[in-house]
Amino acid sequence: MLRQRPTAIDLLRTRCIDAYDLVEQSPSAAAWAAYMQTTYADKLLAADPKLHDGTIDVVSAAYASAAACLDVARGGGGSVPDAPPHWRTPIRSNEQLAGMRDALEALRTYLAYELHDENATALARIDAERAKVERLWIRRPPPEIRGAIGSALAIGLDAAYALGRETFASR
Amino acid sequence: MGLFRPARTVTGPHGEYWELYVSKTALPAWREGKAGSFEDGSAYGGRADLLELPFVVVSAVWGTLIAPLLRFLALLPVSFVRGRRSRAVRIEAVSTFPREVFLWTTTDDGVERVLDEISAGLASGKFVQPLGAVYSGRED
Repeated sequence: MLRQRPTAIDLLRTRCIDAYDLVEQSPSAAAWAAYMQTTYADKLLAADPKLHDGTIDVVSAAYASAAACLDVARGGGGSVPDAPPHWRTPIRSNEQLAGMRDALEALRTYLAYELHDENATALARIDAERAKVERLWIRRPPPEIRGAIGSALAIGLDAAYALGRETFASR
Repeated sequence: MGLFRPARTVTGPHGEYWELYVSKTALPAWREGKAGSFEDGSAYGGRADLLELPFVVVSAVWGTLIAPLLRFLALLPVSFVRGRRSRAVRIEAVSTFPREVFLWTTTDDGVERVLDEISAGLASGKFVQPLGAVYSGRED
């Protein structure tokens, strides 16, 4: 059987493989930052495996940043970024939107579990952006709607990242 | 819902008259091409200029009218089919003097509510941003 050569993305992802376990075993703001960005990159990769138009930049940046956050969480020094990677253009493809939405849903579920409250007030900012997305989510959206959905998802992901850092910083 | 009949008409607080059009079809943009350029005929005197004149006229008509019209007609069926297949709806507010067009995009299940909010906003002199709609501003 032929073995495929690992791509640069595979190599980056390998460095983040512990992010899912570390946030459970040694919760901290840095472990959350690594977990959040690994989840974001994984969901984008699953929704857009061909890595169209900018996906590769955000996925690579998220994995690289997650790996650095893992080093911080293990006491290796360095700092945790203020926000997850952002897109360089305003209009997202349908695949990119699907990946961003899956990531936001997964992170929201994780945070609600950590806060021991499905309707915690701390989740309100994330839920407001989710509501905007749900109102606009249709098949074959035109660029205007894709732009608005992408913007709401990006704000929601930033809010989830910030809330997680705040939540885990007190552990 | 139609391209040529307004869904609502609104008068603003200072007498501005607005027509709101609802459509699923984004008409192709009217893009004028470049008319062919001709060399300066001064080396051959005024006679060369006169000889070039018909070509200049034909080129101008082609670039500003015929080519854009052919492009528009070629893209129109694509725009129409794309609009039919999507649940997105465009709401355009058109004022006549001066002619300005403002665009909102929403989904088909929110059209009436969004139209109500836009109408109420224009009646009070505001461009509102209703929930479930994307305001894109003035169209060129």
